[in-house]
Amino acid sequence: MPSRSATAGPFNRSWGAYAFLAPALLILFLSLLLPAIATIGMSFTDISFLRPANWVGLDNYFRLMADGRFQQAIGNTMYYTLGVTFPTMALGLLAAVALNRKFPFRIVFRTIFYLPVLTSLIAAAVVWVYLYEPYSGPVNGLFVSLGLGPQPWLSSPNLAMMALIIMAVWRDFGTAMIIYLAGLQDIPEEIYEAARLDGASKFSILWRITVPMLGSVTFYLMIILIVQSFQVFGAIYVMTGGGPLGSTETIVFQMYQTAFGYTEFGYSAAMSTVLFFVILLFSLVGTKIMRRGEG
Amino acid sequence: MSVVATQSNLTRTDERSFPLSRFIPWGERIVGYGLLLFAAFATMAPFLWMVSTSFKADAEVFQFPPSFIPQGLGWQNYLDVIYLPDSGRQLVNSLVFALGSTISNLIFCSLAGYALARMQFRGKTIVFALVVGLLMVPAQSQIVPVFLIVQKIPFAGGNDWLGNGGTGLLNTYWGMILPTAATPFGIFLMRQFFTRIPIEYEESARLDGAKSFTIFWRILLPLARPAMAVLGVLSFQSAWNEFIWPLILTNSRDMATLQIGLQLLQSGPDARWNVVMAMATLITVPIIIVFLFAQRFVIDGAVTSGVKG
Repeated sequence: MPSRSATAGPFNRSWGAYAFLAPALLILFLSLLLPAIATIGMSFTDISFLRPANWVGLDNYFRLMADGRFQQAIGNTMYYTLGVTFPTMALGLLAAVALNRKFPFRIVFRTIFYLPVLTSLIAAAVVWVYLYEPYSGPVNGLFVSLGLGPQPWLSSPNLAMMALIIMAVWRDFGTAMIIYLAGLQDIPEEIYEAARLDGASKFSILWRITVPMLGSVTFYLMIILIVQSFQVFGAIYVMTGGGPLGSTETIVFQMYQTAFGYTEFGYSAAMSTVLFFVILLFSLVGTKIMRRGEG
Repeated sequence: MSVVATQSNLTRTDERSFPLSRFIPWGERIVGYGLLLFAAFATMAPFLWMVSTSFKADAEVFQFPPSFIPQGLGWQNYLDVIYLPDSGRQLVNSLVFALGSTISNLIFCSLAGYALARMQFRGKTIVFALVVGLLMVPAQSQIVPVFLIVQKIPFAGGNDWLGNGGTGLLNTYWGMILPTAATPFGIFLMRQFFTRIPIEYEESARLDGAKSFTIFWRILLPLARPAMAVLGVLSFQSAWNEFIWPLILTNSRDMATLQIGLQLLQSGPDARWNVVMAMATLITVPIIIVFLFAQRFVIDGAVTSGVKG
């Protein structure tokens, strides 16, 4: 037997490699590639649970363009995405800069800031529903003790999205911090030395050196956060159910409802296709920037 | 790629002392600590409220404004959670799902990563490009087709060979695990790691006549323990916390995971906040404990997992 594998040509080796790859590729095919293709195909049909599918051409897309609810969902998703992305990056950067030096309990702080990232989304969402509870919740407790009136956080169309954004920032800034901490290590110490010798103030060092030097990291992080926020679902499902008055209905939430509430799989697939291409666009731009950062 | 560089840089932080700190005056240091302490407290506050409320009695929950410190340490809420009719079942489901997903990721991603890093075969460039390309496919926007595919797996759940007639893998562990069983991120991570192991290890074994699988299993896999640890912890954490796949791919009470159970408990008609918080605490604590033990691995890996999006 050993002699066979020693003399095995590239052909035999190839089959061995395919055997190594086959299970993982089969899973990726079933869980990502085929679904991505199927979504696009299904979006041209009226496929549903029981009915046989009919080809309907671009009808679903025409319907989407005229659908006020979908437009509201797009608006909500954008609002949520912008609201989460930038504060998360700002807080993450501040935390990273603060922790990027040696001092006692540094690791403890880093761990604490990272804890929300580890918590399950559902546990975090449930806890925040309690925090926002209008009659006995701690947030209103704090508001009252500060002399402000209690607010109906999750049941007010004006406040609900903001409440969701605050929770998302709390959960995500640890990720931003970790990525920025890694990025800060790549900045040569000499640049700081030179700036200090020139008498630059702390703030101008941060603003003129650290922030620009972190450019590619920042962009990469921004793409991750945007792509992730575009797909928000669990928090909405648990905390508001898309309400009040559709003010927190996002694209993925509406997709879920359209597919599994109204069983309109074809229409839901059209929504998914729109989302898919938007996210793909952001990812491609992000990858490009990342590559440039490496080179 | 940059992933590898970033990882090693991050670990370096702990050893390298930053000259900057010598220049910081005392007053500023106190203000800095103050701000950090405030931020840390604000970050911890939701957890502290969760734990505090989980110890409160029913009447105490409705006091307004709520008190931060519970009147007594009652374990009753925790007992209520443990004795809920479905919680044992949900724990089993969560464990089977999370461990199944972790084990399959460890096996399939390391096999594929090894092939991509070390084996020569036709179409290698295309396969690697495909894996990297799939990193960018947003999984959550595929809920509908994944549901249909899981439903139409041939010969499963009463299906015929064309995948019609039955429920396929819906409401089974296999169905839940399938969409998370191997990830482009995992394959990528393992490939990066195997690429860095010196080729000499393999070549001497190959000269001794060992087969590819033997080399992989006896020599490279033991060397890959750190990468396997990262992949394992991250896979377990993400499956344990997963919500959307169990939600869509199961609809029977028997198959609900702890995450679904917590959501059902909170939205149920007679939800009591103290009991809900006790369950949230019970779900969160194991992950935090795992993290504290594997902190270094997880944080390093998390930088990489940014790729996952």
